[in-house]
Amino acid sequence: MTDGDEKRDPSAGVVDRTLSSVRRAGRQTGRHAGLATLALVALTGTARAHSGSLGGAVTSATVPTWLTVLTGGVVVGASFLFTTLLTDHEAMRAVNWWRAGLPSPPGVWRVVRGGVGALAVVALAAVVAIGLVGPTTPTRNLALLVVWAGWWAGYTISTYLVGNTWPAVNPWRALAAGVGRVLGRARSEVRSSLPERWGVWPSVVGLLALVYVEVVSPIGQNPRLLAAVIVGYSVVTVAGAVRYGAAWFDRVDPVSRVFAAYGRVAPLQRDEDGLSLRVPGTALTDEPLGERPGETAFVVALLWVTTYDGLVATPTWANAVEPVVSVGVPALLVYVLVLVAGFGLFLGVYRLASRRVRDSAETYVTATEIERWFAPALLPIAAGYHLAHFLGYFLALSPALAAVVANPLAPPETVALVLPSWFSTFRLLCVLGGHVLAVWVAHSLAFELFPGVLAAIRSQFPSVVVMIFYTMTSLWVITQPYVPPPFV
Amino acid sequence: MSHTDHAASFPEPATRVPEDDDPVAACPYCDRPFQGEHARDLHVGEAHDPTPEERDRYEAALDVERDDLWLFHARAVIGLGVTYTATVILYMAVLGSGIV
Repeated sequence: MTDGDEKRDPSAGVVDRTLSSVRRAGRQTGRHAGLATLALVALTGTARAHSGSLGGAVTSATVPTWLTVLTGGVVVGASFLFTTLLTDHEAMRAVNWWRAGLPSPPGVWRVVRGGVGALAVVALAAVVAIGLVGPTTPTRNLALLVVWAGWWAGYTISTYLVGNTWPAVNPWRALAAGVGRVLGRARSEVRSSLPERWGVWPSVVGLLALVYVEVVSPIGQNPRLLAAVIVGYSVVTVAGAVRYGAAWFDRVDPVSRVFAAYGRVAPLQRDEDGLSLRVPGTALTDEPLGERPGETAFVVALLWVTTYDGLVATPTWANAVEPVVSVGVPALLVYVLVLVAGFGLFLGVYRLASRRVRDSAETYVTATEIERWFAPALLPIAAGYHLAHFLGYFLALSPALAAVVANPLAPPETVALVLPSWFSTFRLLCVLGGHVLAVWVAHSLAFELFPGVLAAIRSQFPSVVVMIFYTMTSLWVITQPYVPPPFV
Repeated sequence: MSHTDHAASFPEPATRVPEDDDPVAACPYCDRPFQGEHARDLHVGEAHDPTPEERDRYEAALDVERDDLWLFHARAVIGLGVTYTATVILYMAVLGSGIV
């Protein structure tokens, strides 16, 4: 790495750039001594103190990328070894099942829900209108800022850090209910149903398609196009929800499913006892994923698309794609092939690991059952990676977002929030934190699946190897400098 | 008003015995097959209401677990120590402490 990289501020000049480049801007400074502080506070502390006090007599040492990535793998492996020391099943359950009930009177709940839903419909209309007629400067357009900074980054973060409020917020649910009423049908009346054997696979395809459009089209910079895409999505979603009822949001709509999946990581949970506060991540240990086909694939897809979104903005990707496109392969085809192949690789690795568990735990439990049993443990990984990816972006653009919301038609010029230099270290900690939480969730779930202690511990060997692979991949992507995805 | 008495209801997992395999043991209560009597005895003690004889077998299996677990933990602690040391030395080498 060079000093130039280090000095390049993650958010300086944000307002000059297009939104899509800003989206990854927070990633630029991850190359320096981030993980050193985590693994070896004393050592790096000394190195820095030296270079500080001797004023240049000792050259400041920086940790190369490969060592940062390797350290990430070591931290996950070590946290697994550490977790194996915790074998008191009752004590683990005491942590995982702890909950504090929160008051949630049904009457108040219904009013809040209705109000939030109506507000969301108004916001949706405003986003589409301003997208079509508002200013075209990305950082002054309400539609772009609300959708990318406010919703895709900020709101998504709230679903795993606080709780999944999407079922109440979702404006398309309210719109579909309205259209249903106009057509004179009761809420529960459903015209047709999706084939059972499709399971939730439609949402897997939908998620991959959504991220593909997000990466290859300029909807991150062009408010008119964004408004058109939102209108298109609205038509499809409302039509689908009217035709298939609630099953649409449960099995097809990728947005609702992403928030529902992230919501399981959150401390605020809703269950049959009402609203309750949990230790973050412990709700994941309540039950395995559902039995419908595609449940595991969706979680793996969620993990993969966040990685893909970062991968296509690395110099390595640009260097790899250039020769392929220069021999005449259409760039859009390359992007879709890698999207699908990468998903296949992530899913394949996870499936292989699940099959190996049958040997390592000496069990007759089927591989499919093991897949869905441990899949909830992948969700904190996806959430940690999302936080690392988008928190800086959200914070940097929040002043612009606030200004535009206050004055949508003629927003004042704003400056972006400049993030402190330690923020890149914090981002690496988000990735690692997600993985460490994942190790705990897998550990807890293993104890519910296998009798005794040793089989439960041994059952985790393959998935720990997979988690180390995922951690190192994510950290590598996050430490790369930002390069705009080429050819799109 | 916090509590931890919530009992998560975990389903009995689906199992499949390979054709060329003869399951050594099965649970007398739920028929779940096991690759060894040790795992079966543990399962019966944990998941069902065992008879006095089954309880004895369960406790014997727990004793075996305790011994094996001690050995495993010894290895895990050594593994943690080695990993920690290797990482420190690697950082010293890469950052050029002058010692390595």
